[in-house]
Amino acid sequence: MALVVEAVDLKKTYMLGKIPVEALRGVNLKVECGDFLAILGPSGSGKSTLLNLIGALDKPTSGTLLIDGVDVSKLNDNQLSDIRSRVGFVFQFFNLIPRFTARANVELSLSIAGASKVERKGRAEELLVTVGLKDRINHKPTELSGGQQQRVAIARALANNPKFLLMDEPTGNIDSKTAREIMNLVKKLNEGEGVTIIMVTHDQHLAREAKRTVQMFDGLITADIVKGERT
Amino acid sequence: MRTRDVFGYSFSAIRLRKLRAGLTTLGVVIGIAAIVALLSITTGLQNTITAQLETGLATDTLIIAPGGGVFGGGQGGGGFGGGALGGSDSGFRLLINDTQTINGLSTDILTSIAVIQRSGYINSTEHERVTTIIGVDFVEYKNTYSTTFVSESGEIPDNPANNTVVIGKRVNERQNGTVLFTAGEDVQILWTNATARPPQNESYTAHVAAVLQEVGGFAFGGPSDSNIYIPISTAQEFFNTSECETIIVKLANSDQATIDAVSNKIVDEFAGEVSVISSTAVLNLLGSVFSIIELFLVGIAAISLLVAGIGIMNIMIVSLIERTREIGILKALGMKSRTVLGIFLGESVIIGVIGAVIGIALGWVLANIVATFLGSGAISIGPGGGAGAGDMLSITPVLTPLVFLGAFGFGVGVSVIFALYPAWRASKLKPVEALRYE
Repeated sequence: MALVVEAVDLKKTYMLGKIPVEALRGVNLKVECGDFLAILGPSGSGKSTLLNLIGALDKPTSGTLLIDGVDVSKLNDNQLSDIRSRVGFVFQFFNLIPRFTARANVELSLSIAGASKVERKGRAEELLVTVGLKDRINHKPTELSGGQQQRVAIARALANNPKFLLMDEPTGNIDSKTAREIMNLVKKLNEGEGVTIIMVTHDQHLAREAKRTVQMFDGLITADIVKGERT
Repeated sequence: MRTRDVFGYSFSAIRLRKLRAGLTTLGVVIGIAAIVALLSITTGLQNTITAQLETGLATDTLIIAPGGGVFGGGQGGGGFGGGALGGSDSGFRLLINDTQTINGLSTDILTSIAVIQRSGYINSTEHERVTTIIGVDFVEYKNTYSTTFVSESGEIPDNPANNTVVIGKRVNERQNGTVLFTAGEDVQILWTNATARPPQNESYTAHVAAVLQEVGGFAFGGPSDSNIYIPISTAQEFFNTSECETIIVKLANSDQATIDAVSNKIVDEFAGEVSVISSTAVLNLLGSVFSIIELFLVGIAAISLLVAGIGIMNIMIVSLIERTREIGILKALGMKSRTVLGIFLGESVIIGVIGAVIGIALGWVLANIVATFLGSGAISIGPGGGAGAGDMLSITPVLTPLVFLGAFGFGVGVSVIFALYPAWRASKLKPVEALRYE
């Protein structure tokens, strides 16, 4: 299977005030197309930093990071934007634009990629139906529940047929029942549509849904277990 | 992202904060309106004055007045500004018989006319009017100003009796159309001799021979609606003088070369004690005066636009801080930095365009209101010089395409320039940090 992400000795140091913080201290990771990866770890273990790097939101301090075969450390600001538009990001706090309706939020992602108005409308509606929001298409985020907002965010992330979906604590801000529904949707996307998923969580139960779990601690990967290989 | 979508996004951001955007736009509106109103009124005023001057001017005449070198000699306007030309500091006075000397100076000089000028009154049994009394040779004056020194009623005599008087239209008629004097009527002409001790009122009974047609212009040497005319011999006797205030020179042609040559000869003849003013020089002078006034007014108006610009910058920075997270989202979705820049500049362009368009319209309306106000006589701009019958100026504001485009460009330009820094800062935000911003 083709590799969508390949990290070799990936390091990231950032400054917290004047104190350098080593968030990643040499991470090696390979993610194949169609994978469903859960990254587990306590706060400060570097899992979000890793996700930001894979999502091209940030650049590594050293090491190599290939996203879809492209080394992001060599890219300029403009090229990083291009990578980002080919990656779907789902955040813990949804990060929808409050003044836009569900459809407009999904369309925004498409319009950034340069899609025409007609293309956008059809695609946005199709995606919102896929995530189960057929009746909420013209609602604004304030008129939607947390779970519904996260579904909109997932629809938005899927808009440009991304290479993979990055999810940063996608159920961290919603109740457990809704969280399970969201997870079912994610699983369906992975198994049914073949969408590659990399999910950060600190919820062991959610991680169990993934095909593979990666344990992080103190900026390093301490365990990498593929489902079924577990002892 | 398509340009249309960038503008659409900018517009949605503006719509979200209507009041704030409205107030920001108001700043631009006021600035642009001030510029447009001031410029179109000044241009209108200049056109009116120039037109009035041109009707009152004969381009083949020169005006000689005492007082040399005020504006640098020859072509300068010695005592321009008010109906009375003259007022020399050096004590030099023109004499009535200087005309003979002047006539002999050049073959280009057809004739020269001495003008005696005093402030005074013209009274009938019912009415009294303040006026400027002009003593001239009727025949030569009529020849020189054949289109303006023309009677409407009565007749301007070639051999006037000593007590003949010819009355300007405005002296004779009030704004509301009331006719005060008629041809054939006897009137009292009165002036105060201030050189006598104590000052003394002197008067004589005159016979109205004619009322002039409306001249409609400033009396620059030539006939004016607010003057009355008496024979020079009568003026000499009545005012007890052999001096005159100005001498009008009629030239054979109106070439600039002739004007220059004759002007220099005259100035030399009087050893620099006189100024010679040609109508073209007056028009040029007027033009440059108006340029300075316009520049000054636009400068003031531009300050208000500058303030508006700072307002835009301020609002943009506040907006940038408020929307830091939103910018982070946009960048995480793959929006390029230059598109973020475009969105912020787009907002300022929208504000600038709306502000400029409303500003131009408002300025134009204001200019017309002010012009109507001026025209209604609330403020009268008379030709001055002691003439009491103040001429009203009807100003038609002029909005030239240059002013229109300039104001538009300036409004949009200022908006964009002041938005550059906030927009640049927005575009430089790092997505990770922006997303973390609460």
